[in-house]
Amino acid sequence: MGRWLYARRGSQIAVIRLWPRSLVGQLLLIVAMMLLLAQGVNSFLLYRGAQSQNLIESSTAAVSRIAFGLDRQANDRPGRRGGAMRARRWGQLKYGSESAVTDGMNRLPELEARAGQAFANMGIGFSDIRATFTRNLTADMSGHLIGANRGEWRNNPINRSMGDKRMPPETRGYVIISAQQADGQWVSIASVVRERTPLMIRTLLFQTITIYLLMLIPLILLGRYISRPLKSLTARAHNFQPGDSEDLAEQGPPDTRELIRAFNAMSGRVSSMINEKDVMLGAIGHDLRTPLAALRVRVENVEDDIERERMIAGIEDIDHTLDDILSLARLGRSAEQADPVDIRSLIETIVDEFTDLGHEVHYQRGDKQSALIRETLVRRALRNLIGNAILYGKAADISVEKSGNKLMIHVDDDGPGIADDKIDAMFEPFLRGDASRNRATGGSGLGLTLARAIARDHGGDIILQNREKGGLRATLELPIK
Amino acid sequence: MTHKIHILLVDDEASLREPLAEYLIKQGYKVQQASDASIARSLLNAYDFDITLLDIMMPGEDGLSLCRFVTDKTDIPVIFISAKTEETERIIGLELGADDYITKPFSPRELVARIKVILRRAERGGTKPLGTSGGGYQFSGWTLKSDKRSLIDADGVNVSLSTGEYQMLLALVSRAGKVLNRDQLLDITQGREAHAFDRAVDNQISRLRRKIESDPKNPEIIKTVWGGGYMLAGEVKSL
Repeated sequence: MGRWLYARRGSQIAVIRLWPRSLVGQLLLIVAMMLLLAQGVNSFLLYRGAQSQNLIESSTAAVSRIAFGLDRQANDRPGRRGGAMRARRWGQLKYGSESAVTDGMNRLPELEARAGQAFANMGIGFSDIRATFTRNLTADMSGHLIGANRGEWRNNPINRSMGDKRMPPETRGYVIISAQQADGQWVSIASVVRERTPLMIRTLLFQTITIYLLMLIPLILLGRYISRPLKSLTARAHNFQPGDSEDLAEQGPPDTRELIRAFNAMSGRVSSMINEKDVMLGAIGHDLRTPLAALRVRVENVEDDIERERMIAGIEDIDHTLDDILSLARLGRSAEQADPVDIRSLIETIVDEFTDLGHEVHYQRGDKQSALIRETLVRRALRNLIGNAILYGKAADISVEKSGNKLMIHVDDDGPGIADDKIDAMFEPFLRGDASRNRATGGSGLGLTLARAIARDHGGDIILQNREKGGLRATLELPIK
Repeated sequence: MTHKIHILLVDDEASLREPLAEYLIKQGYKVQQASDASIARSLLNAYDFDITLLDIMMPGEDGLSLCRFVTDKTDIPVIFISAKTEETERIIGLELGADDYITKPFSPRELVARIKVILRRAERGGTKPLGTSGGGYQFSGWTLKSDKRSLIDADGVNVSLSTGEYQMLLALVSRAGKVLNRDQLLDITQGREAHAFDRAVDNQISRLRRKIESDPKNPEIIKTVWGGGYMLAGEVKSL
């Protein structure tokens, strides 16, 4: 059972592989398959027609032989010498009280009707006529057969007229016609039915190829006409940058033009929405920072040093959160250009910031390593990772590792780490490891979200994993040339 | 001291402008307030100012345009105050000839320190190292660019500097060959005097050396002058 399923799946895969992936390919394949099917049905019908034509021919020969034989018999004077012999020579007709077409045989009413009509036309009356087709001739009928002689087949005017000089085709079977005379005696004869299909197959093949050429070439051209604008539309959608002012040229069939027009309108709407968002964010930034700045100035009037420092820390916290939110929202639309930056100096600058605030952060300068980055953003991402390490552990240890075309900046802490099933959730905005919303623990809850967004914006990523010796390792991955 | 430093403070937000003016007055400055660019222009005509603090985002004529007016028509130094932190705006501000840039919310002490730095520089008749003085300096294979406040090595790779490190390096590079003691360096970079046992300068210098010297223990670029201070050795080309 299992193996059978496996085999089935295997064949399914094979089908999928044969199935073309492009629109034009699928269209072509379907049309080709349908044409083949239509040609198949067509040839089947033609074949059937030819078969029944062969049957009719054979039965016509049998009917005339019966008529001829009976005529001879009637003209022979009874008791004349050699009468029986002549009859045999002329007709090979089988006389008997039983019909050669027995009850078990599959009778052909159409042939019977035709034969009856033919006999009636010749003025011969029979009380019953039976016709059948059989593949194997019974022994008692083999002596009453016409058309078996090849010369006879070749001399047949019908075959001559078709210009067929070759050997006669294979015998396909036999038609037996049996007619009952007024005295109850049956006259029977068998006639060979010939196969006449090779010519037909050739014709069919030629037809099919002609149709393919006539249909498929324009179809390929049509397909190209349809698919080219779709391809450029796909590329545009993939590389969509809000603010792409240039519309995609409308081309292709009317449906596609309509689609491109709709796409252009949609990207226009998206761009203007994003522009609106930027304007709004700018306004929020401005409107929140101004009162914050006023507060920051007024705080200087607070006499109590400890109280004042706490208030300042609170204001700076709000400011950093605001920074994180605005950077996250603006990411990908940054005006800052990417420059090659010496990663060592970048790490040192951030490490120094933390050291100046009294935190324990270690970094040992290694070999020079540059990466193409937007410095302010990556600085922010790294700052967030180190900030987390200090928040959840006591110290942060930073190391740089180069692996292939990736640069990995590891930030290790000695904190409790994160349960493996919670690691993905850590990137959710506003979620903290301790599940508390207590501001006293610091941080906006956006730190990792923003760090990952920045890393991905650079074609890199952030990876969190628990260290074997305890603590968490946060890795900032950046691509390098 | 008879002459009080005269500051023009331009900001449309009274909620920030008024407490800031109060704070500056408390610090011993004379302050005139303007809530928009046209008031600022008339004040500029009426008084002699030592320095202008300008908000960038204002209704009507904005701070950038007013800054262009101030730097074109007068020698009064300008510090931008802005809520925006986008890199480009800082560059625009500095290219227009602003002397410095501070973002909201800022520490008023930091603002005062920067005011002092700029006034000290103006007193000495020094060039504006952050502003229109051009691209920056070249020294010992390094390029210090003032438009983006960046340091670039011989391979064209940016070396990240903190604001303090940048200012320290700029102070040394723009006075190459001169010995600067700790007081002078603090004065130039932070507008303050050294406390006793102040290690801030030595700290910055050792961080700078780590980033730019091939062997920080035997510095070739930032030399220690025995008993004196620090000096930038080698040739410096102004860009």
